[in-house]
Amino acid sequence: MESLRLTGVRGHCYYYVMRYIGERSTDPGLLVLTSLAEGPKHGYAITQDVQALAGVRLGPGTLYGALARLESKGLIEGLPAEDRRRPYRLTAAGSDALAEHLRSVQLLARTGLDRLRAAGALG
Amino acid sequence: MNARLAGLVLALYPLGFRRRYAAEMKALLAEEPPRGMTLLDLLRGALAAHLRPLSGSAEILDTATRVRLSLSGVLACWVAFAAAGFGFYKTTEDHPFALAGNTHPLLGATHTTIQVFAVLASVALVAGALPAATIALHRARRERGRLRLLLGVAFLAVSVFAGTTGLLIALAHSVHSDHASPIDRGAFIAWGSIGLLCGGVCVVAARKALFAISLARRWLLWALSLATLLSAAMLVIAAASALYAVALAIDAPTLAGAPDGALAGTSTSISLFVQMGAMTACGALAITSIRRAWRALAST
Repeated sequence: MESLRLTGVRGHCYYYVMRYIGERSTDPGLLVLTSLAEGPKHGYAITQDVQALAGVRLGPGTLYGALARLESKGLIEGLPAEDRRRPYRLTAAGSDALAEHLRSVQLLARTGLDRLRAAGALG
Repeated sequence: MNARLAGLVLALYPLGFRRRYAAEMKALLAEEPPRGMTLLDLLRGALAAHLRPLSGSAEILDTATRVRLSLSGVLACWVAFAAAGFGFYKTTEDHPFALAGNTHPLLGATHTTIQVFAVLASVALVAGALPAATIALHRARRERGRLRLLLGVAFLAVSVFAGTTGLLIALAHSVHSDHASPIDRGAFIAWGSIGLLCGGVCVVAARKALFAISLARRWLLWALSLATLLSAAMLVIAAASALYAVALAIDAPTLAGAPDGALAGTSTSISLFVQMGAMTACGALAITSIRRAWRALAST
């Protein structure tokens, strides 16, 4: 990343785009939705999957904060609890929201890479 | 050790959140023993859950429970507010500050505002708590059990605080020097710590007692109305204190910067700003809590 040596306005744009992508891609809500895209999972399985998927370790406070927000927005729903563990799954609205978000991130990443390539900043 | 601490931190989450997710969180903590970072994450999560309550929490908590939570929240805010406000008072209590109020109109006006609203807030607190306290005392007289224990603990905490205050006043009268010795300072810090502890015990006991008694809707409304007044008074006092500090720096800089002045030295100035910040935060939290209760009432 240091070898890019982008300066001025382009440097600032690059910084903010990468920061945006970085922040969005480690958003706990997005990570949870992405994990649940595979199928219903309970809390522990989500944390394991997210760690394998993105190298991010979700603490219980972060995880259940995200689950609560997503559930209250109707993007996920809880299934009947098994023992004390309750699996969650994506709702139709959650699938749509995740797909839309990932498409926008994909478009942003592709555009950013194209521009960097055009500027000769990528090999 | 960490598992026990994690259990305690879980108790800091809002009631609605705990009812919905605590069992699952405990199951997760059982699978993955908590580390130091886990505890920090839980603390951050508890704070976030308080600041951004669940939108569906009305389905988890009934209106009476929501109102009781808000009432005990306002009481906790008032105790913390009073502690911070007392710190502010201590830095501006000397006679020259009262005299400066006569010379500088803004200083005088803000000082009077603080006093008037402090009395108003105290009256609102007593009047608001009176019906619930009467019902709780009446029930505790008839029944032995947890409620009697809770009221006894609250009474003991108030007595300990009153006794310690009496001791501190006696110590202050026995000292004839204008400058506080290390012993005097130590006694004051001990008194403040005991006061905070007693305040905390009273808040917890009052909260548990409030949930242990049945209270008619009209008394809940009465308490909530007066808690609203109390919360508004906290914000007015915080704003007046901030204005007072600004006026002190502009109108009476010599007094403010004197060795015992409110803005003498960096540490005293920082402590003053911290106290005002704490007062504002307590007022804002109390108003937020009250708004949630009124919203819950309006939705039923």
